[in-house]
Amino acid sequence: MRIAPPSLAICLALCLAAATAAAAPKPGERLSFVSCPIVRDTRSVPCWLAEYGGELYFLTIQTDVSAPVNPPWLGHKVLVEGVVSDEPGICGGRVIKPVTLSVLPELDASCNTILPAEDRYELTFEPPRPPGPSRGRLAFGDPAKRDTVAPSDAPVPAAQLAFSLAYEFDGRVAFRHAQILQRILDTARATHAVEVRITGFRSGSRLSDGTVLRERAGIERERAEQIRELLRGAGLDGVQYTVQGKDTSKRPDGIADAPDRRVDVVLVPAR
Amino acid sequence: MAALGFGTVLARSDVEVKGHVAEQKEQAQHAPPGAADSEPSATSWWAPGNGKTLAALASYRNDYGSGGVLNSTGPVNTTGHPFFEAIGRNGRACVTCHQPANGMSLSVETIRRRWDETQGKDPLFAPVDGMNCPHLPAESPASHSLLLERGLFRIFLPWPPKADDGSTIDPEFTLEVVRDPTGCNTHPQYGLSSPNPMVSVYRRPRPVANLRYVTHQKFGVFAFIGKNGLPASRDPETGLPSAMNLLADARQPTLKTQAVEAAVTHLQFDGKLDDERLGRIVGFEQQLYVAQTRNTAAGDLMEEGGPPGLGVRNVATGRDGLLGNNITNFVVPLGDSWKHSPNAMRESIARGHDVFMFRTFWIRDAMHLNTVGLGNPAKRTCSTCHGMHMMGMDIANGWMDIGTTNLPHAREEPLNPWNERKPELPLFRITCKANVPPHPFLGRVIYTQDPGRALISGKCNDVGAVVMQQLRGLSARAPYFSNGSAATLREMVDFYDRRFDIGFTEREREDLVNFLSAL
Repeated sequence: MRIAPPSLAICLALCLAAATAAAAPKPGERLSFVSCPIVRDTRSVPCWLAEYGGELYFLTIQTDVSAPVNPPWLGHKVLVEGVVSDEPGICGGRVIKPVTLSVLPELDASCNTILPAEDRYELTFEPPRPPGPSRGRLAFGDPAKRDTVAPSDAPVPAAQLAFSLAYEFDGRVAFRHAQILQRILDTARATHAVEVRITGFRSGSRLSDGTVLRERAGIERERAEQIRELLRGAGLDGVQYTVQGKDTSKRPDGIADAPDRRVDVVLVPAR
Repeated sequence: MAALGFGTVLARSDVEVKGHVAEQKEQAQHAPPGAADSEPSATSWWAPGNGKTLAALASYRNDYGSGGVLNSTGPVNTTGHPFFEAIGRNGRACVTCHQPANGMSLSVETIRRRWDETQGKDPLFAPVDGMNCPHLPAESPASHSLLLERGLFRIFLPWPPKADDGSTIDPEFTLEVVRDPTGCNTHPQYGLSSPNPMVSVYRRPRPVANLRYVTHQKFGVFAFIGKNGLPASRDPETGLPSAMNLLADARQPTLKTQAVEAAVTHLQFDGKLDDERLGRIVGFEQQLYVAQTRNTAAGDLMEEGGPPGLGVRNVATGRDGLLGNNITNFVVPLGDSWKHSPNAMRESIARGHDVFMFRTFWIRDAMHLNTVGLGNPAKRTCSTCHGMHMMGMDIANGWMDIGTTNLPHAREEPLNPWNERKPELPLFRITCKANVPPHPFLGRVIYTQDPGRALISGKCNDVGAVVMQQLRGLSARAPYFSNGSAATLREMVDFYDRRFDIGFTEREREDLVNFLSAL
């Protein structure tokens, strides 16, 4: 997976970070680090924060299933990759936005901080979903009603036949993939796809302190093969599957590392 | 009945009456005039093949009032009906373990009464699953201890698991027997090392009612499971995905496939159920509804203009496949009329509803809840998970591990020289293999009384995950949780309080129990 066992790699990253902590990053600067997530309660939903280089950063608020960013987990370290924003701080943390979060798989009991609510950290916006009833908002969307190609003999634009599934660092298929898998399945059926081309990627991540993390070796192929098996398992048989893996972990740049953790799926419709 | 919350005003009128009269008046005013006396008791037994007609609306007394069984298509003539006739070798019918008096499940009180009445000779106690293990002496109550004490039947499943096509699944973990008090998991004929390797776990029978909701094909039911992205099981006849909410481990996708399996494993039916009988069983189950109909202190739960979420008639006409948990479609809509009622129990039930909907707490380390985008922990409420409108179960694919069967949270006997009770349930050690990630909250080695969904999926993350139950008819079918570890509604609430460090006040506990008892 990485250049070193996970705990060692993470420790190394943190130690280097502490040793090399420099001036606070300016807005617009990229920031990548591994840290324990921190929960801060508020009068509404909790905020998720992380500390790096002596600064506290705001990652996200408690969200819901279909949110673009989902909170990390206590009991695990989190890989944070994003851009420091010039927005006003939230919950006492500088905002990182956009941000990509990866819950690292190994357990870490030291990540266990829940801070109590304080009046000075009142959220200045209404969270998309309060902690209790959702005031009419659905928890998550209905994939059958979204972006699905209707059955038709008309040519389908290539863009509608290409899909990309994003992964967390070292991650496998998870809850967030159910909807896009459904769209792939529906589109394949609607277009009478004859071939499904699946390409899995393995990535690395260059942290702000220079440390390089690499995903588990072979994960690119595993990801692609898992997607094939899931589509087959859901009943998409009678098509040709072409599966390949690409390892991009040797060239992490600290800028576009997260998008390289993905699986691309291209459907080839019947002519 | 459950106690009223302290500090509540028991009766409001122009002249406050002191002492115990207020309570007497309240009950006198709200108790049905004579109807309850004519209702069968909570332990009245429906014997297979008795040929009676199941009324369109049959009511049965229970500890909190009365529960109703409603046949939405009218009275059911049970003569020759495959749900009510013994069709297997052991003399049982479906109705044996799905009794109308127990909300179409089976209470441990009824089980004990049946043992006493028949000296253990009723087919209910059949060795195949009504005993801790079939090799034990049938005449001894000790051989049936899990059934008699916790209402648990033996569920025996092939290990390693089998896929739908019969192929063997390579599980992500190894399974070892650490403790085998029933002797079944290590038995040379019935155990894991037998020629036909089986793992035995012990579970409560789930209610056969309100299944229009449980098997809905609407919100959240897709080809891929919303909790983990894996393919959902499918109806073998239609190919449509299943809500996967029927059994504790979601191993059967439809009522039909469930009936086929149950006939084999519980009734010892030796053959294949024909379509005519299957159709009658499924048809009966789909039109059947259960809910509490009367609360001893709150009175009639089906009165005209009453709360739209209570009473079996409202359950029979409610919308299925609807995610509640918002202010337009409450999970159990009560309206506002009971919030300020002259009846203290009605007020308590209304407060309990608000505890259920609005009382936040930190939900932490719950597999398939904290891992589906909410974060760990998530500050949410009971209704976050119990979100299905009218039922209070998960809208789809409802398995979750809250610690009812996994250590360290599962109920275990305290081991010390002064406790003579021995552990009753088996204990398994699960070791996740090196090529898969560890369980996010329990690590690579997990101790469990019942691996739950993992016995079907073979997935490390599914260890101890159990499909949550509907909340209807609870008053008629104690004990609770799949392993019967909560003897009462109060114990069930207390489990959550301990597990999630909620810190319920005494009044919140009582209100929540009263709310649950009215469902």
